Amino acid sequence: MTGMEPTPATALDLSARLSWRVAKNALMTALMVLAFLVVAVPLVAILWSVIGKGMSTAFAGFPDFFIKEIPVVSRRPGPGMGPAILGTLMVTGAATLLAVPIGILGAVYLHEYGVTSKFARLVRFMAMVMTGVPSIVMGLFVYIVWTLRTGYSAFGGALALACLMLPVVIGSTEQMLKLVPAHLREAAYALGASKSRTIMTVVLPAALPGIVSGSLLAIARAAGETAPLLFALGAATAYNPHLFDGASTALSVQIFANANTSFVGSQERAWGAALTLVFLTFFITLVARIFTSRLALKR
Amino acid sequence: MRTLNRMIPTTRILTATGALALALLPTACKSKDKPPEGAEKAAEGDRGGAPQAGGEKPASGAGGAVTLNGSGSTFQKGYQEASIEEFGKASSEVTINYGGGGSGKGRQDLADMVVDFAGSDSAYKEPDLAKNKGGPVLYFPILLGPITLSYNIDGVDKLQLSPQTIAGIFQRDIKKWNDKAIAGDNPGAKLPDAAIVVVHRSDGSGTTDNFTKYLDAAAKGTWKLKSGSTVEWPADTQAGNGNAGVAQIVTSTQGAIGYVDLSDAKASGLKYASVKNQAGKYVEPTAESAQAAGDGIEVKDDLLFSALDPKGDGSYPITYQSWVIVYAKQTDKARGEAVKSYLKYLLTDGQRLLPELDFAPLPKGLQDKAVAQLDKVQVAP
Amino acid sequence: MASEPFSLTGSGNRADTGFRWMAIGAASLVLLILGLIALTMTNRSLPVLSRMGLDFFTTRRWSAPDGLFGALPFIWGTLYTAVIAVALAVPVSLAVALFITQVAPPLLKRPLVYVIDLLAVVPSVVFGLWGVLVLSGRIQRVYDRVHEGVAAMPGFLIPVIVLAIGAGLLLTSRRSLVGWVLAVGGLLLLLYFLVSGRSIPPLVFGPAAQGRSFATAGVILAIMIVPIITSLAREVIETTPATDKEAALALGATRWEMIQASVFPHSKGGLVGAVMLGLGRAMGETIAAALVIGSSLGQVTLDMFASGNSMPAVIANEWGEAESLHKSALIALAVTLFLITIVVNLIASAVVRRSMARSAGRA
Repeated sequence: MTGMEPTPATALDLSARLSWRVAKNALMTALMVLAFLVVAVPLVAILWSVIGKGMSTAFAGFPDFFIKEIPVVSRRPGPGMGPAILGTLMVTGAATLLAVPIGILGAVYLHEYGVTSKFARLVRFMAMVMTGVPSIVMGLFVYIVWTLRTGYSAFGGALALACLMLPVVIGSTEQMLKLVPAHLREAAYALGASKSRTIMTVVLPAALPGIVSGSLLAIARAAGETAPLLFALGAATAYNPHLFDGASTALSVQIFANANTSFVGSQERAWGAALTLVFLTFFITLVARIFTSRLALKR
Repeated sequence: MRTLNRMIPTTRILTATGALALALLPTACKSKDKPPEGAEKAAEGDRGGAPQAGGEKPASGAGGAVTLNGSGSTFQKGYQEASIEEFGKASSEVTINYGGGGSGKGRQDLADMVVDFAGSDSAYKEPDLAKNKGGPVLYFPILLGPITLSYNIDGVDKLQLSPQTIAGIFQRDIKKWNDKAIAGDNPGAKLPDAAIVVVHRSDGSGTTDNFTKYLDAAAKGTWKLKSGSTVEWPADTQAGNGNAGVAQIVTSTQGAIGYVDLSDAKASGLKYASVKNQAGKYVEPTAESAQAAGDGIEVKDDLLFSALDPKGDGSYPITYQSWVIVYAKQTDKARGEAVKSYLKYLLTDGQRLLPELDFAPLPKGLQDKAVAQLDKVQVAP
Repeated sequence: MASEPFSLTGSGNRADTGFRWMAIGAASLVLLILGLIALTMTNRSLPVLSRMGLDFFTTRRWSAPDGLFGALPFIWGTLYTAVIAVALAVPVSLAVALFITQVAPPLLKRPLVYVIDLLAVVPSVVFGLWGVLVLSGRIQRVYDRVHEGVAAMPGFLIPVIVLAIGAGLLLTSRRSLVGWVLAVGGLLLLLYFLVSGRSIPPLVFGPAAQGRSFATAGVILAIMIVPIITSLAREVIETTPATDKEAALALGATRWEMIQASVFPHSKGGLVGAVMLGLGRAMGETIAAALVIGSSLGQVTLDMFASGNSMPAVIANEWGEAESLHKSALIALAVTLFLITIVVNLIASAVVRRSMARSAGRA
């Protein structure tokens, strides 16, 4: 939707009595406000729980919770989510390194080369299909083609996340490339620049803030994913700095595992991990927002 | 496994010498209190003379890190976690991860060689054994423990159940707490007119396997759901993931009853029932009553056995056991040795941790057999 | 923008072709991955499909020891929870999107947009955590109240209420789809009540309400997709040209009439797309559902307060099973889930495209 197409005219029936119309308007407005409150209550309750319960765990004896290893005895209370924080950063980071460059290249193909060719349309359609692949399906897929052959590793999780991010990055990047005015490209061609050079030095830099913002949103979403990591990471409680080697863990997986227990200590750690993860995704999203507003300035 | 090929050379040298030392001095290791420490000391003494070193300078002991991965039974998870912690203090170069997931997952992971050892409350089925990628396996029993019937009803602090009643509850023939059958087991008790919520395991579980095997044996004729690591539970029942998952549903649901191992039930602060044993006595699940159950068991040569539904006045009837399963042929030297020393710890020094965790240690005879079986684990030279 | 001078000679051509092929390669990766998923997953699900045949989709029994795998209860659970979630989330999300774009004072608008966008990235496992540790223990009492309350009502009341709401909606607009559905549904329920003497309660609100149930999963999924649908709906609504809105207002329309006459017709397609995306999200969600749905076997029931199971939850909980046929069955579940979400997505994009084409065509 470009917002420029004219809206089909719908009969605007103003024949009813004014008082009835005003009353109806007031009623509908009241319903909207009510809906807003209805939505706000559970969301505030959730954030309240996460912040309230998470803070007391995460900041008791700061910075223990963020650096200590996860207690091997899961029912024991006490800090430690360090390895999960490292795991989340590693898995998400590796997934970003895989998905973002490939995704941008793919979008470059779609918008600069393929455009309306049959192949480009097929890829565009399939990327749309791929966005809909449930994350657990991606997790199973990576388990079968990767984990079964190589054993647990952070990289397996990164592969699954990268597969989820790829179509999102392609989609958002293509949208951004569409916004780059054609005269920029034409100017570069007129100077005799080759197509690849035009793309690398003119088109992509022009679209950069938008691409970064779109990619960051994909990363934020990926950082919180649990299902694709369930089968690939294994269950480490100690730091594992090796990307390709050995079991790892992640915040989301730890929250899931600890939410499933009846022990107060592990439930507390789940809340602490939830607070950390929420903070991480919020931070990435806010950075994305900043890039978006810079984009708005540029335009 | 990728990690097998990625061992850094120094590790190989260190553990190769360690293995050599073990081979030369079999008694040295057995006599020590802490096997991994003993192995390391022996290795250090022998390091200079190891021809495999090939001129490379062996690195310090801390560089030779080995990581072992295990998964499976959530029943023995408490013991695994405590042992990993203690074992880690003694030998810092071996890191061990134990992920739960249920006995079924452990056996499958070992079959696929995704892990180095599996925790399991039941054996492989005969036809599945052939699918194991690493050849024949060995079973090491490591503990005994009771399965409790944990419940959550306000106002009922003591509950007695017979096997027939348990069977009736879990196949939903008995739907109310004040049912005649339950009242019959609890003369004089005040039972509320509340609906029973049955909670069972959602994952493939050795606890389920043993619990249903028990009902199959002790409530013959009444129990119709057969036995297995997953059974076809009635539709109007709930399920939790792992023993702790079941415990969690029971703690948060009025009127709930579920089967949870004693260790997790106690750590979750649950109430649990006394169960009528073969001798007709209602016995409370404790580490002692589980050990009493273990006293009279028959053990086969492969160390497979069942402690369910035992004789004896003082034995808790739903007592079961858990094994660690490993491949008989360990293809990677470093890991093989680490597996062996960790197993030895579980079978000997670790046993003293068990009562504190509400498990029962192995009976002496069984422990000796299991330690002797360690020699059958062959580590590649 | 370009900091380097352009080179007009040299090996530019070769680099150009190389770059082009790299881009083609990156794009093909999408096809490759999807192809691999389809291939490996289908291949791995063949053992169970060849054994169960179409019974896999139509039987209720799921019993690993017997080698029987019927996915019907899980397909049902996935669809039922997703429908509950969407039914709860859509009206509220649209209302909130309208509130933000049309009603909220400008001062409030920007922060609200920020907050909604932030909430849209809250990981689903966090919703699940709250659902299992906070909500599920407490909501059981609410369910009991609802059940008691509904059971205490005279049997004709619910059908009459449904009918009345439907008729009311039809009075305001004769083209209201929801109105027609409710009116016809209410009529049918009333007939059912008159014939059988039973009303809707025993069907939808069963006797023993459970804290972990279809309804709880539906509620958690709804809370999860509300920010997503709201965020998308807001973007769609904001593309309504100001001229359209001003034209309506200039004719003397109230705000609600302006929304009806300008905003809705303009953004219909996009809104349907947003809703379908939310539906797809709700169906594919694993963790939140797995934590609060109750993991029961064989539940195919309209009883919202009964515990059940959904396809992704079953996969996450049972993947550990030893038997290879069981694994194959879980992969077949994944394939089924995959296919259903693809169909939902295709319908969504078709609806969006058609409504865009229609609005373009009428111009």
